[in-house]
Amino acid sequence: MNEPDILGASLARSGISRRSFLKFCTAMASLMALPPSAAYAMADALKRAQRQSVIWLSFQECTGCVESLTRSFDPTLEQLIFEMISLDYQETLQAASGEAAESARKQAMKASYGKYLLIVDGSIPTKDGGVYSTVAGVSNHDLLVEAAKGAAAIVAVGTCSSFGGIPHANPNPTGAVSVSDIIKDKPIMNVPGCPPIPSVIAGVLAYFITYGKLPELDNLNRPKVFFADTIHDRCYRRPFYDQGKFAKTFDDEGARNGWCLYELGCKGPTTYNACATIKWNGGVSFPIESGHGCLGCSEPNFWDKGSFYKPLPVPLADNTPIITAAALGGIAVGTAAAVISRKHQTSISEEK
Amino acid sequence: MSGLDNIGTKVVNPLPSPPEDGLSGNADAILHEIVALLEAYTATGQTGAIDLHSLPLTLDDYELLRITLADGEVHAHIDAIGNSEVRETLYPGVWWVTYYNAEGDIVADLIEVTAVPEILKAPADDVREGLAHLRELLKQEQP
Amino acid sequence: MDLLQFARGPALTWALAIFAFGMTWRLAGILLLKRRPDYSEPRNATSWPGALKLIISRSWPRREFIQRTAFGQALGYIFHIGLAIVVFGFAPHILFFRGLTGLDWPNLPNAIIYLSGAITLGALIVVLGRRLIHPVLRLLSNFDDYFSWFVTFAPVATGMLAVAHLGARYETLLAIHILSVALLLVWFPFGKLMHAALVFVSRGSTGALFERKGASI
Repeated sequence: MNEPDILGASLARSGISRRSFLKFCTAMASLMALPPSAAYAMADALKRAQRQSVIWLSFQECTGCVESLTRSFDPTLEQLIFEMISLDYQETLQAASGEAAESARKQAMKASYGKYLLIVDGSIPTKDGGVYSTVAGVSNHDLLVEAAKGAAAIVAVGTCSSFGGIPHANPNPTGAVSVSDIIKDKPIMNVPGCPPIPSVIAGVLAYFITYGKLPELDNLNRPKVFFADTIHDRCYRRPFYDQGKFAKTFDDEGARNGWCLYELGCKGPTTYNACATIKWNGGVSFPIESGHGCLGCSEPNFWDKGSFYKPLPVPLADNTPIITAAALGGIAVGTAAAVISRKHQTSISEEK
Repeated sequence: MSGLDNIGTKVVNPLPSPPEDGLSGNADAILHEIVALLEAYTATGQTGAIDLHSLPLTLDDYELLRITLADGEVHAHIDAIGNSEVRETLYPGVWWVTYYNAEGDIVADLIEVTAVPEILKAPADDVREGLAHLRELLKQEQP
Repeated sequence: MDLLQFARGPALTWALAIFAFGMTWRLAGILLLKRRPDYSEPRNATSWPGALKLIISRSWPRREFIQRTAFGQALGYIFHIGLAIVVFGFAPHILFFRGLTGLDWPNLPNAIIYLSGAITLGALIVVLGRRLIHPVLRLLSNFDDYFSWFVTFAPVATGMLAVAHLGARYETLLAIHILSVALLLVWFPFGKLMHAALVFVSRGSTGALFERKGASI
């Protein structure tokens, strides 16, 4: 292709009107709580921008993150993000395979060295030399290190690449770790969730393409615009929590009345995500609205924090055997002390 | 009648009882901001916009905005990945722009203060491309 | 493992084990001690009515000293009742007890819990202030008194911060709250907090002794 790959031109080729594009930018700006004027600036900047080269590596994952972004109702605004990027490598979506696919990746890495955005979904196995997941004979670890060298920034999509996720769960047979456990010298943004909300993925990508940098991040490197509040803070059932009205089982009067699911193990109070505001499936609902507590899927180690149905204040372990043993031990020691004391008393009175 | 109908359900409003008139005060704040934006626009030509999603609005707040701003002379409908409604309010230069996605959910809800909202204008690039297409068409028709 | 996992996991397990061990050790050790034989002729054949009477009478200010002791005793009642309401009435706490014992009971509305918690905190602060200012109390107080006060105050204060989401993220506040409870459990059997288990035992035995001797109670 001779003409530079300008976004405006490629949109026209795909038959996407500029009005649709402006609408996308307005929706994204509103989603990220940017001022409305930012939408025009965004549309203007993006139109002139070169299509962002994106290399998407999939490691130990279930493809749910890609499904979340691509298989929502069609056509969606979120999918417009694919018009704005030049997706140079994505195993699930690309037509090429085998040697052709790998050489496309290498070519893209060379052509946009230092400029491409690296997206990673899935965790990276490290045990036994990383043999548990390889692509074309190269371990995920080596592939990541190689691809990270020329990346302008890395976006870890999904809980697996952000925090290790389900492959990392106890006993972690493959020694799975997150991207940030391996790469230390690049800006990394985590977009956790199992899977993440599609518009959150699209929003942060649009932000990066517009401003050329990652948005503001929190202590776990999550974009603050989407991960600033807990599910509990924004939950429509929050007033019931405040009133102390709880569903005790999934089919009692409280559950039918839509009361708070805290006692049924909802992890909303310790989970930072935007489900309660953006919701799922094109805004239909989110888990709590459908009557099930939050699993906390966007938090580190969510799989190992006890049962999904164990309420937050309940101890994680079953302490009954330990308490029983300790109590029996206490009785034994106390009795022994009393016996010694009695003997001592007797010997004193005998001396008299 | 399916068996599901026998399951009793109840919908309870979880929100604490709102103040008598159901207004949060934010609608009033928005109306004052519109005045400020109009003043700026008439004085300097500076356009402005308010994202209605950025403020928590009750249903009564929306109702107050609708009644106060009311419908003006222009009502446009844009069909581009879902609907978009552009209405001029009773106050010329104040536009209520609502974007829907393909499922009909609101994805952005804005008040714009300008002569014509950007989304209504035909973008120059699109005009040029349209021209090219039309020329192409005429060329093909000529023998 | 994050802080909350540590608090809900090993910290609580250890604290509960130490609590169970300490409580049973001290109770068995005290209750199985040899009583001194009393060779005097008893005035009254049964002594348990005296035990009951003293438990009740010592729970109320004596008329002679009421002006001096009423304030302190009122404070004591306020924060003890407040603690009971918060500890046993708050829904998440009931979940904690249900997880341990399988017992379940209805919770109180949160508004009552928050109010009791605030009153308890206030009363505990006044109690500490009084201990520091009152010359006799101050002379009588040792590390045990101050530390027991601290491990009582800390769970209430951190719990109030957690429900109000003040000062840190909720998961951190909840973890600190649970850790403060763990500290309370560990200290409980070995410090003056043990009075919770022993107060009526000691009053009862004194009362029984008085009854036997025919002393006025």
